[in-house]
Amino acid sequence: MIENLINAFDAVFALNNLMLMALGVLAGLVAGSIPGFTITMAVVLALPFTFGMSPIEGLSTMLGVYVGGLTGGMFASILIGVPGTPSAIATTFDGFPMARKGRPGLALGLGLWASFFGGLISAVVLVFLAPTLAAIGLEFGPWDYFMLVCFALTIAASLSEGALIKGLIAGVFGLVVASVGEDHINGAARFTFGFESLGAGFAFLPVLIGLFAFSQLLNDMSNTEDAKKPMIAGQHSAVKMEHRKSIALIFLNWMTLLRSSAIGLFIGLLPAAGSSISNILAYDQTKKASKTPEDFGQGTPPGLIASESSNNATAGGALIMMMALGIPGDAVTAVMLGALTIHNIAPSPTFISTQPVLAYGIMVAYFLANFMTLIMTSGALRIFLLVTRVPLYILGVVILLYCAIGVFTLNNTSFDIWTLLVFGVIGFAMVKNGFPLTPMVLGVVLGPLAELNLSRSLSTSDDLTLFFMRPWALFFIVMALFSVFFPLYQSASKAGKRWAQFYGVGFMVCAAVPLMLMEGSFRTGLGVVLLILAGWLTVNKLRLPQRQNP
Amino acid sequence: MKRLNRDAITALLLLVICGVLYRTTFDIREVPFSEMGSEVWPRFILILLSILSVIYLFRSVTQPQLAVQAFSWSRWFKTYQNALICFAMFLVFLLALPYLGMLVAGILFVFITQSIIGGFAPKLLLFHAIVSVLAVGGMWSIFTFALRVVLPAGDLFR
Repeated sequence: MIENLINAFDAVFALNNLMLMALGVLAGLVAGSIPGFTITMAVVLALPFTFGMSPIEGLSTMLGVYVGGLTGGMFASILIGVPGTPSAIATTFDGFPMARKGRPGLALGLGLWASFFGGLISAVVLVFLAPTLAAIGLEFGPWDYFMLVCFALTIAASLSEGALIKGLIAGVFGLVVASVGEDHINGAARFTFGFESLGAGFAFLPVLIGLFAFSQLLNDMSNTEDAKKPMIAGQHSAVKMEHRKSIALIFLNWMTLLRSSAIGLFIGLLPAAGSSISNILAYDQTKKASKTPEDFGQGTPPGLIASESSNNATAGGALIMMMALGIPGDAVTAVMLGALTIHNIAPSPTFISTQPVLAYGIMVAYFLANFMTLIMTSGALRIFLLVTRVPLYILGVVILLYCAIGVFTLNNTSFDIWTLLVFGVIGFAMVKNGFPLTPMVLGVVLGPLAELNLSRSLSTSDDLTLFFMRPWALFFIVMALFSVFFPLYQSASKAGKRWAQFYGVGFMVCAAVPLMLMEGSFRTGLGVVLLILAGWLTVNKLRLPQRQNP
Repeated sequence: MKRLNRDAITALLLLVICGVLYRTTFDIREVPFSEMGSEVWPRFILILLSILSVIYLFRSVTQPQLAVQAFSWSRWFKTYQNALICFAMFLVFLLALPYLGMLVAGILFVFITQSIIGGFAPKLLLFHAIVSVLAVGGMWSIFTFALRVVLPAGDLFR
């Protein structure tokens, strides 16, 4: 392994490879920061340039675009409140309020370093545990996927910002929007009302950008006097990246970083899941684990750390699946798989052993891309910050047009720009009527996945008990149930109700059951440990009142 | 009779949408031999949305509402003036796109919208013109020349 790793370092650190990677990172940063211009699109555009390169050069360049794009998405989210990419949706929740409160340097610093550490953690896991972790992805059947999506949908409740019914309506409305067009299994048209353009349904990105961009920008510009002020008020001349403070805050929130990176990595391992899900999932779990959940959405550092570390960690998980099994974890790795095929290399379970230099080269390049992004972002930050000094109405109108150009490039059709406008109106009306937007986005993202896997499950077997008896499905049912009742637990805990003390214990017991049913001694052992821990905690909690009242 | 509030109207609108969409699920083509028909999932989520909308309607009519001013169109227009300008101009931009192309329609959209919101003073007009040409022209150039993405050219320039 060491020899292969040294050879991979040699190939990746060659001067021309470094230059190509730097170009890739720069292109990714620019692409990620343009709303509507996806990382996938950037990687696809980079693909033809890599035909004449060696496999390691081509993949290094594309990895540069990929990692740069993930970080670039953060700029638009933090500075203008419009997610540059779906992987940065949750970044807007706390990044934008923090920037608006006059701390754009800290917000960007936190986002940048959280991305870096998230990427680093997943890169380390990638190097040492790739084949072992990839096996988990293979255990997933459609029943498990369906339950995973159901679990992810329960997040809509906690993202409802105090308006539970409106949040749930928004989430289900998102599912309805996602069901427009031909269904993925049978190809039958639904809700098209005779319009041919609706046959393919609504593309996800125009919906996402329409909802966020119009509602955010037009809300800010509603007062003509405010519209003539810059987007971010405060000490502009003194704005600089707060590196030291950001690193200190990340170390202070190390648990958030580790948990979110683990979530990102895990989601990356699952084919077709990806960073658009992981950032919201990690944000939600961080909010639930926080002692001050009311701070979330106001510009709290853990929210930002969770989102940015998880989306970069997902890239590592997706790479593990691609290299170890030849299964793309997301759209970008699917393009990379295509690039490898062009060079007559087919990733498979034997890829790491038959192409060790290339496999380790990809890992080293991913590692290096994170460092390069860090350095180049620090340099490019001043240019990005200049944007926020422009009067809001100037910036807002230009961004709306950039959104139109960005979504047009998705499918080269004006229909996507119409979608952008329609969902812009819907998003604006929703915000004005107190409906949260994020649950709707969640519904649009997860709807097709839920339907597809439900249909696959029913086609594979008539046995409905598989939805409840398979270990992973059961695990996600437990997660979903405890996630749904979490707000109830929080209020009961604040009110000092006795049962709330046993919520955590109950979760441990319930989670231990599917873990013990899973293959391998590690997870079974983990389940046993959870049971013992739950027993010990129960005994302690039952004894506690006796101690207090001797 | 108690007047319907905004939430109740929204809930009723949602119920109407659910009803119309549910009706159209009966027009979805049946696919032979499929385990799960194409209409099953949409029906399931529409029923879910209807239930939630009924709960929303019930809450909106039973819960006490905050005192609100009587609706007036002039105040509504004043509040949403800039948003309405942006939506209307974006609509005009979309309608003009096939004829003028992304570059010209884009420059005009940015210039006119900025001028309507920001003002028509000569200095501002010059500033808006420079911003629109540089911002739109720059991005158009990146896509056209660097990324080789073909943006709509416009029928008038063919």
